[in-house]
Amino acid sequence: MRNKLKLKILAGFMLLVSLLIVAGAISIFEFISLSRSFNSLIEDNYKSIEASRTMLEALERKDSGLLLTLLDQSDDGQKIIKSADSAFMHAFSIAVNNVTERDEDKLLEKIDQRYDIFKNQVELATMVKSGGDKMNFYHNEIYYAFLDVKHSVNELMVLNQNRMYQDASLLKEKSYRAIMPGIVAIIGAVVFSLMLSFFISKYFISPLSELAEAIRTFSRHDKQLKTNIRSEDEIKRIEMEVNNLIARLTKQE
Amino acid sequence: MTQNTLIRVEVIIKFIGFVLLFNAVFLLIAASISIYHKETALLPLIFSGLICVIFGLFPFIFVEQQDDISFPEGLLIVVGGWLITCLIGMLPYLMWGGEFSLINAWFESVSGFTTTGSSILNDIEILPYGLLFWRSSTHWIGGVGVIMFVLLILPHATSSRLTLLNAEMSELSKYNFRYKARKIIRVLIIVYIGLTIIQSLILTLAGMSLFDAVNHSFATIATGGFSTKNFSVASFDSPVIETIIIFFMILSGIHFGLLYRTFTFQKENIFRSPTVRAFILILFSGVILVSAKLYFSDVYGIWDSIRYGAFQVISLGTTTGFATADSAHWPAFTHIILIYFTIQCAMVGSTSGGLKFDRVFLFFKSLRKQLIILQHPRAVVAIKINNWHISENLELLTLVFIILYLFTLFITTVVLTFFDVDLYTAFSASIATIGNVGPGFGDVSSLSNYSTIPVAGKFMLTINMILGRLEIFNIIALIMIRKSNF
Repeated sequence: MRNKLKLKILAGFMLLVSLLIVAGAISIFEFISLSRSFNSLIEDNYKSIEASRTMLEALERKDSGLLLTLLDQSDDGQKIIKSADSAFMHAFSIAVNNVTERDEDKLLEKIDQRYDIFKNQVELATMVKSGGDKMNFYHNEIYYAFLDVKHSVNELMVLNQNRMYQDASLLKEKSYRAIMPGIVAIIGAVVFSLMLSFFISKYFISPLSELAEAIRTFSRHDKQLKTNIRSEDEIKRIEMEVNNLIARLTKQE
Repeated sequence: MTQNTLIRVEVIIKFIGFVLLFNAVFLLIAASISIYHKETALLPLIFSGLICVIFGLFPFIFVEQQDDISFPEGLLIVVGGWLITCLIGMLPYLMWGGEFSLINAWFESVSGFTTTGSSILNDIEILPYGLLFWRSSTHWIGGVGVIMFVLLILPHATSSRLTLLNAEMSELSKYNFRYKARKIIRVLIIVYIGLTIIQSLILTLAGMSLFDAVNHSFATIATGGFSTKNFSVASFDSPVIETIIIFFMILSGIHFGLLYRTFTFQKENIFRSPTVRAFILILFSGVILVSAKLYFSDVYGIWDSIRYGAFQVISLGTTTGFATADSAHWPAFTHIILIYFTIQCAMVGSTSGGLKFDRVFLFFKSLRKQLIILQHPRAVVAIKINNWHISENLELLTLVFIILYLFTLFITTVVLTFFDVDLYTAFSASIATIGNVGPGFGDVSSLSNYSTIPVAGKFMLTINMILGRLEIFNIIALIMIRKSNF
């Protein structure tokens, strides 16, 4: 019978606390996972998309540089070709060091091979002497090699963009799943608190009021304090002690 | 307030706590499946399980053991148990997300527990395994009644058990159980678990994966209809699997007390029961009519007409709701036959919901009795079913039930049309949900779903499902109690 009330209230609160702790832990876990996914989204796909964009830009510049060269502005053209080549290779190395998707490595290999072909043909074009031959060579050979590389780089970009879109949808789902335990826990805690207050009122407050009322209406002629308290806890003990006290006092009288 | 009308909220909460703890077991099994498959449904399932455990254990701290419960308390425990179970059951869906909005999660949960089998999901196969298992588990828990499992493990006195059993089972369904409360519960659970295990094993042998076999067995024995596949049983395209499911759908639509007596070689068994004979006869007449119409209308060849016709009639006639073909495109005649079976439903004492065949059977017996009395006004005509005398009171109660059932059907149809659902869809959705069947016609046909129904309509249909499962009278009795006691 000892400390039963204390244990009951403590157990009730412990259940409530455990509900909140678990909800909090799940939310924290989901938010950490969300943050990781966000980082990977930025690092994995965004880097590759940016690298692809740089490669495309470098390709366009290299093509322009080549056209300048073929139009007898060799110095300016060569400068542009050189800087575009270095920009392409830099972006390409970023993409190579950031392979995160399935088949991305194969795509990079394809870009590498096609770029080599394009590069060789650009070098060959600068060696062609006659103006008419140069333009024919450009239209018949180089332009198609240029389109091939561009197409492969585009494929790389689309692959990463699609993945990024999928990851963004996943992020949306993850953020939903991170918020939901919190919402459910709040509603659960409210319901739990109402139930707890009902039980406290039913099993602690009501018996105490009943005891107080019984003491108030206790008559000198009564031999015992009468209540309807059925629980086996401290309140019942008070009732028993009061009855013992009454018995002792009656004896003394 | 006398002992019979006493309502103690704490006692009701404690008994509902038992129901929650039982649900927690299945949520944790589903969570363990998610752990195995490393799925996103793990945390929603674990958290929902934890909530069940916390709310289930909480009343035990305060409420002392009760040896007796009054009938109003029993009624509140049964109705409250069902509602709280449906509420808790929606948590994993709601927390997981996807297509599950608040109303969709509630719809799926109520549809599962009431063994209706209507779904709002456009893509079922995208669900994680754990969530699919929980979805089928809701059928299995609800199939025999959420209170039944609790009654089996209830350590309390017999009077509590009897009160709860009376509140959970209809008067008519107790007719084929000539046992005491505890034995009735044991018989129900033994037959229920036994059929589930046997069907799972046979389906596995027929080529289904163990996971699919267990899930489809849960849905068959509970006469639910949730499948793990987008195209229901049609996905397996296997006549063997379909035949096995047909066999178990028929068994699940028969009174479990009679099944038990058949399995234990007792005298009064399914072969001697005139109700079972009539039920099977009508079911097979339906199969013949539908198959013949499908064949003569050139919808299918002879074999496919029998195959698809039989499956669809038995699926709807036992309120299961699985599908092997889209009956929405079948001739109108077949729709009328199928709608009749959706109204009639299966036998009392089985896991099916709705009107129940025995009531229709009793209605025709009563009609015959009235015709005899018209011819011979002084005649004393007694109605007997399975050699048991049906009291005038039960006869009247059954007729009132049928009227109430049809009236509810009418109201729901009217309400759905108010929300701009077309008449055919509204009518068939109302029958399919109050009968706990699942698929209807129109926009909610056998291979379609309820996603297009407006939010208010979905909510209305969930009320229908609960009314169908709790047999309307319990809800009315509950309202009457509230009026007289609060």
